[in-house]
Amino acid sequence: MTAAAPHVSAEDLLLDGRIRVEDLVDRAGLEELCKSFQSLFGIPVRIYSSDGSLLGDAVGEHELCAYVNTTPGGRSACEATVAAVRARDPGPSGDVSHACFTGAAYRVMALEYEGRRVGRLVLGPFLPANVAEAPASLLAADGAIARDRAQALLMKVPRAKPETVTRIAEHLKSALDLILFAGHKAHVTSQMHLLSVRESYRQLEDKTAKLQEAFDRLKELDRLKSAFLATVSHELRTPLTSIIGYSEMLVEGLAGEMKPEQLEFVRTIHGKGEQLLSLISGLLDLGKLESGTMRMAMRVVRIESVLAEVVSTLAPTARRKGVRLELDPPGPLPELVGDPERLRQVFLNLVENAIKFTPAAGLVSLRASALSHDARGDAAADDDEDGVALLAPTRALLEVRVSDTGIGIPVRERAKVFDAFYQVDSSSTREYGGTGLGLSIVKRLVEAHSGAVRIEDNPPRGTTFVVSLPAKGGSVPAMHAVSV
Amino acid sequence: MLARAAGARSGAKQRSDKDARSGKIDAVQINFGGREIALKLVYYGPALSGKTTNLRSLHELTTEGSRGRLMTLETKDDRTLFFDMLPLMLRAEQDRGMTLRIKIFTVPGQVLHASTRRLVLQGADGVAFIADSQISETEHNAASFLDLRQNLTELGLSLKSLPVVIQFNKRDLDKVRSDSEIDTLAKRGREAVFKASAVTGAGVLETFFGLLYLTWTKLDREHQLAKLLGIPSTELLPMAARQLGVSTDVGQLISACVGGSLERHLQGLA
Repeated sequence: MTAAAPHVSAEDLLLDGRIRVEDLVDRAGLEELCKSFQSLFGIPVRIYSSDGSLLGDAVGEHELCAYVNTTPGGRSACEATVAAVRARDPGPSGDVSHACFTGAAYRVMALEYEGRRVGRLVLGPFLPANVAEAPASLLAADGAIARDRAQALLMKVPRAKPETVTRIAEHLKSALDLILFAGHKAHVTSQMHLLSVRESYRQLEDKTAKLQEAFDRLKELDRLKSAFLATVSHELRTPLTSIIGYSEMLVEGLAGEMKPEQLEFVRTIHGKGEQLLSLISGLLDLGKLESGTMRMAMRVVRIESVLAEVVSTLAPTARRKGVRLELDPPGPLPELVGDPERLRQVFLNLVENAIKFTPAAGLVSLRASALSHDARGDAAADDDEDGVALLAPTRALLEVRVSDTGIGIPVRERAKVFDAFYQVDSSSTREYGGTGLGLSIVKRLVEAHSGAVRIEDNPPRGTTFVVSLPAKGGSVPAMHAVSV
Repeated sequence: MLARAAGARSGAKQRSDKDARSGKIDAVQINFGGREIALKLVYYGPALSGKTTNLRSLHELTTEGSRGRLMTLETKDDRTLFFDMLPLMLRAEQDRGMTLRIKIFTVPGQVLHASTRRLVLQGADGVAFIADSQISETEHNAASFLDLRQNLTELGLSLKSLPVVIQFNKRDLDKVRSDSEIDTLAKRGREAVFKASAVTGAGVLETFFGLLYLTWTKLDREHQLAKLLGIPSTELLPMAARQLGVSTDVGQLISACVGGSLERHLQGLA
């Protein structure tokens, strides 16, 4: 079977239907079919395509033909007959006889598929039942042809009645029809398959292009958002600093004594100003972290001192709420390389959060420990990370666990709480305050230290935020811009 | 498609100039060299509504002389994979006429074969929409019809200009929409509606001849096909019935159309 042109359309394939026998049928197979017919019925069979090329034949030369061909006149008469048969159109009825000068005959029949002529069958030569002796035309072909010899050989040509030839031809035609149908079906199936795949591919490409376009647009929007955030945050901070500064001066009495009520109002202005400033700073940090322009002042840091500072800063807050805040005495800890100010920000945020979500009489505890990969037995260890086998031996980690006995975070929410502005329960904003920015900044800052943060349960109640940071020993540059 | 019709087909196949100018895309192919006119009819509809069964019945209800083998391309579980195809060859019963070849296709109904459905629909001259009468299938019928409309639009065709008949199949089942319900719907709609039970053969010839009537009449008006075939316009359907061995009167067959809206549909075709 030959493959159709690659640009064949479904319409051509399905409707055009210009079936070519040579496209659908295996020639060797056709040859075998012809041979089996010849051996069964003794009559030579040829199959021609619609353009006249021979597709299969089974022609054993009769002795008569061999004999006639030994004479020059006989050979040219034979050639003329074969050429005429080959060119013979089967006519409107699709079935004609063609006489040979030897007295034998051929039958030329149209081969049809789906009502269209797709080729011709030629059966013969055979000897018509009514031929009794060599005709004059045989002897006239060449003077050298001997009558007795020719007569004897002619009688050896297989005899067939017209109806027998018709039956044989019909039989062959129906076998061929089946073969053509099977070939056509396979051809259409394979072509349809190709076309369907191509059509699906085209649709997918369209969709991909649209998605890519949307993705590019979103990326651009995201970049604009980050730039906007950074600019606006910066611009907002400037006047706010004045508001905070002047209200502070008023509270300190630099502009004269105020009545208690006035003082209360100004304190509120000052407090809210501070709150707004921290929010704006958060936005600015997030903007910088997202745009990759956050500059980190990396140096060797001892985590114990960072944690101690955080605990002492937040001790009053915890006390006010009636929450116990404990720093478990750490064992010997390795140093790490990081920006102490940013690390302080990370743990301030986590501990403040923990206090916020822990009810009175609850406990918030901090515990720092050194982990080598071997020593880590906890189930939550990220052992399924890429290349653990290669990387683990060199990875000494510092782990800080901030545990609370608060309301806990459902497992399905744990990945989302690190998204900017996300709150597990939007009603908690009202109850607990907060902007939803803190954890997203924490995550980005920890990642900027090549660390990771995850959430675990703190049984029986509450949450543990686990921050793991690589211990000193890596090749972290002293100052670098972090792109997250 | 038009450019290809003029170029790649070695000039033998033509669409009329009028169509080429208006950019309209009909599939009717007139092959003067091969003395053939080719029509494409497509049986569309939701999965398992009986499109293939319609073709099988049509195959059984017609005689061998004028129809070819039914080609079905299906998967193991008898679901249509690409399409089914039944070719019919009608010869004008006089020497000089051309041959009218009608190829009837079914599309694969399953949702996942969307691209194949569009390929098969390409260049359709008429569509029989085979709906499932079961009440539970109402939504699938509607979804498939919208899918048909969408695909036609993408192929540059339109329901407004395409001969369409609707068949409510599986009338033999329980829990189907009632006759009166269908009658009412048929009167409201633009399309001619036939009722059928394709497994028993009921309504199959009616649907086919209804669609053939619409398609033939429309294309004959546009391309003077009857003249090419050398027959009077009104002779095509009786001739088709004779050659396909259908003894029922065609007028009677197509009058099975509910609501009698074949003519109305014809008038409405752009």
